[in-house]
This record gives sequence, structure tokens and C-alpha cells, in this order.
Amino acid sequence: MKKILLIEDEELIIKLLNKKLTIAGYEVSLAMDGEQGLAKMKQNVPDLVLLDIVMPRMGGFEVMAQMRKDEKLAKVPVIIISNSGQPLELEKAKELGAADWLFKTEFDPREVVTKIEKHIGH
Amino acid sequence: MVDPSGGKLSDLLLSDVPPVLRSRDQEFHEIQEAKERLEEEKNILQIKFNAKTKALQDLEQSMEQEIQNRTRELKEKVKDSENSRVALMNMLEDIEELRQREENEKEKTLAIITHLVDGLVFFDALDRVSLINPRMESFFNLGREDAQKSIGKKFSDFIKIPALSPLADVLGAALKDISREEIIIDKNKAFEVSVSAVSGQRGKIGTILIIHDISREKMVEKMKTEFVSIAAHQLRTPISAIKWTIRMLLDGDLGAINEEQREFLDKTYKSNERMINLINDLLNVTRIEEGRYLYNMEIADVENVVAGLISGYEDIARRKNLKMIFEKSPAPPVKVDLEKIKLVISNLIENALKYTPASGKISISVNEDNGGAAVRVRDTGIGIPSDQQDRIFTKYFRSPNAVKAETEGTGLGLFIAKNIVEGHGGQIGFSSEDGKGSSFYFILPPASPKE
Repeated sequence: MKKILLIEDEELIIKLLNKKLTIAGYEVSLAMDGEQGLAKMKQNVPDLVLLDIVMPRMGGFEVMAQMRKDEKLAKVPVIIISNSGQPLELEKAKELGAADWLFKTEFDPREVVTKIEKHIGH
Repeated sequence: MVDPSGGKLSDLLLSDVPPVLRSRDQEFHEIQEAKERLEEEKNILQIKFNAKTKALQDLEQSMEQEIQNRTRELKEKVKDSENSRVALMNMLEDIEELRQREENEKEKTLAIITHLVDGLVFFDALDRVSLINPRMESFFNLGREDAQKSIGKKFSDFIKIPALSPLADVLGAALKDISREEIIIDKNKAFEVSVSAVSGQRGKIGTILIIHDISREKMVEKMKTEFVSIAAHQLRTPISAIKWTIRMLLDGDLGAINEEQREFLDKTYKSNERMINLINDLLNVTRIEEGRYLYNMEIADVENVVAGLISGYEDIARRKNLKMIFEKSPAPPVKVDLEKIKLVISNLIENALKYTPASGKISISVNEDNGGAAVRVRDTGIGIPSDQQDRIFTKYFRSPNAVKAETEGTGLGLFIAKNIVEGHGGQIGFSSEDGKGSSFYFILPPASPKE
């Protein structure tokens, strides 16, 4: 079973994605902010990270920067889940090596699963 | 006076006297005669004298008359000239009054110009500076002295003053009519520039340059844009959550639902999508207004982009019984922000679908136009009334017949489209007839100029 780490501070989004990904057959672990997320992935390296950008304590960009410095984590694909869809944000995510990104208003959980499958399969 | 009969009497007396006596007599007689002659002469002289006197008197009289006449005439003339003098005085007074009034008018005009909230420069018919008001000086930090020195300068020299360089960018090298062009001086200062030729009854008098301070408006506009941006961003999170929840309910991820529940959820999902579209439109507008809009420029073939988008609309067209055709001919590749150009094309197609009644026709074409790539969307829809056409690209504007035909709509689509196309250096336009249909097009410049 592929392991996905979801780092997101919106409780409803966490609940929904957790449910959806579990139904889709993934093993999901959760973190409510960047710091927590980084700690969790160091302990147990996931197959993919779903990452929000704006979060308390440590934001998504900082998490990515830290991951790039860590040998174990540098190759783990990251899919950005963003609220804003700001082109600047997207540029920066690309720069930091995000595998993909999706804007919450333009996607729904079904499409999140499709994107994940595209990157790591089932 | 001598009695005329006396002479005869003495003649008789003299004939009877003796010679001695006679000589005396004769002497006497001669004397008498002489006396008489004298008397006679005296008489004649007297008569002459009288006559002369009379003549003299007559002369005197006539002269008197003449003098009187002359005097009268003179008096009349004097009176006339007196009248003329009075008239002249009156005229002078009138002129003085007029002059005074004009002076007052001039002063008033100057006072108005001086205290005008707008900056103003007046050029004479030969494009030489003839007036600069204090507001103009303060707007551009133009010193009093510099301003004074520039009076009489030709426009082409005037505009070279370093302090006026922001103006030179909009005005160019020669004076021409300009209507409300915006210039941004810095973050807190923005002006609107207008230039218009001033004509009198005898042709061109000069040209007036007006600078209107719009810093405040700009600031309010910016605050408004920021507000909309923040509000829209804040709305996205909860709306996304609603979207995701309904989707999962509809997909049965949270348990089975019955038909009625599905119907309600389906409608709610669609409502929510409309809300998302509105928020996205608002955010697009704020980005346009903040001047940060075009990113990710890449080379693309417009016909492929259009083809890809059309397939997504075939269902809607079929459901509405609209015939949709796509005619393509070769067009040069263009350099575009693909997401933004898709937005423009989608907008034009969606409008055509929205405003064309059932069994109508929509034709979409791509072809080369003046070296660039042109996209046209023609429909047989409700059209745009001619009196609404000049407002069609205005933000939030929706033509009344469009509102009647389709209540949904933000009035932002064409505004966004125009900004995107113009941001790419392209042009957008349309032709339309009320009740017959519309044809919208946009042309993008080629990716690299043709060799």
C-alpha cells in the first residue's frame, strides 16, 4: 500500500481527503502544519506528499526547501494543494521542484486521486 | 440852406445899377454867384455826403447783419462742437467702462486659472507657451523661475524641460489632441492629461493642456482592488470545502444517497461552481488592475488550443440544439500565456452558447490575419443593440437584452478578455446586429516577426 503524507491545516479538507484517499486504497498519515509534517516524513518516508502552502509555523515552501536538503526526502514527489492559484506561487513551487499542483477551487477530491495515480500509481 | 428863388432876385437888382456901382454890384454879384455855386456845390456835396452816409449806413447795417449772422452761425457751431464734445466725452466714458469691464474679466479669468485645481498650460496659435498656472508648477516641481523662463518657448523646447519628462512620454514631440491619458508619476501620484486645440471665430487661437490630479482616485481604486482580492481569496477556502464535500457526497464516498438527495446535491454543486466562477472572475479583474497578469509565456498554435476547447462545449451545444462548426486555416504560432488565452476563447464561445437561441448556429474560425493569428466566433444570437455597443468591454457591464436572455453573468468576461488580448499586444473587436447575431474576433501578433 502506497503511503501518502497530507500536510494541511484546514480541518474539513483533511477529513475529506483522508476519506477519499483511504477509499482509493492509500495509506494516509496527517500533519496539521509544516513542522509536524517534516518530522513525520523523516520518521517514515512517504511515497508522496500532498502539501498546502499557507500554514501556521512552517509553510509549504519551507517544507519543500528542507526536503531538498535531506537525502532521503529529496526525491519524494510533492503535489501542492493551493488555495490561491496565484501565478507567483505556482512559479515558486515549480522552482522548488514540485511534481504537480492543484488549486482547490478548480479540482475536487476525485481529480486529486487521478493526479496521485499519475505520479505514483496505485 | 439857400432859398433857390434868391438868385433870380439878385440878377434883377444888378441889371439896374450904375457901372461904378455895377462893378461893386458885379463883384457882389460874382461873390453872390460864387456863393451860390458854393452853395450849390455844398448842396451837391451834401447830397453826395448824404448818399455816402446812407451807403455807409447801409454797409454798416449789412455788416451788422452779416456779423449777426456769422455770430449766430458761430454760436450754432460752438453749440454743435459743444454737443460733439459731450458726445465724445460720453464715448470715452463708455470706452473706459468697457476697458474696465474687460480688465475685470481678464482679472477674473486669471484668478480662475491661477486658483484652478487643475494644472494648465496655454499655447498660442504658433504652439508657443503663453501661460502656465501655479498648479502646473507645483504638480511637476517646476520652479517659478523655470516656468517664467519657458513663456514664449516653442512646445518642442518646453517639453524638453527635465521636470516635464513624464509628460513627454504621453505627449510626444508635437501638440495633438489627447483625451484623459493617465500618467503615473510614482506610487502616490498620478495625473490625467488632456490636450485640446482652442478655436475662436477666426480660427485657431491656441492649444490648452490640462493636468488633472487623479492620485486620490488611484488610491481608492487600489484599495478597492485590494479589498476585492482579499475578500475573494478568503472566500475560496470555504467554497472549496463545500465543493469537495458535495463531490464526495455525490460520489457516494460518504455513503449511499437516494435520487432526491442526488438531485439537490447536484443543483447545489452547480450553484457553488457559479460562485467559484464569479470569484475567479473577480480575482482576474483585480490582477489585471494590479498590473500583474501575464505569466508563463510560451509558443502555441492557436488552432490546437481552440480545437481542444471546442470539444468541451459540444455537449452543451447539442443539448441546446445549436450547430457548432469549426473552420481552420493555417495561422502563425503565437507567444502566449496559454491559460489566459484559453480564458479568452472560452469566454467568447460561452457567450455565443449563452446568447444564441435554440437551433441557431455558432461558427468558430482560426486563420491568419495581417501576419498574426485571428480567432473568430460568430453566432446567430440575440446580438448587441447599437446603443450598447460602445460599452460592451466595460467592467461589470451587461447589455439589457443579455440580462433578459440570461440572468447569470458577471459582466466581467469581455473586460477580462480585452485586457488579456491587449496584454499580448493583440486586438479584440466585434460586429453585431440587434436580433441577428454577433461576431467577436481577436488577433494575436505572430511569435516572431516574419522575415
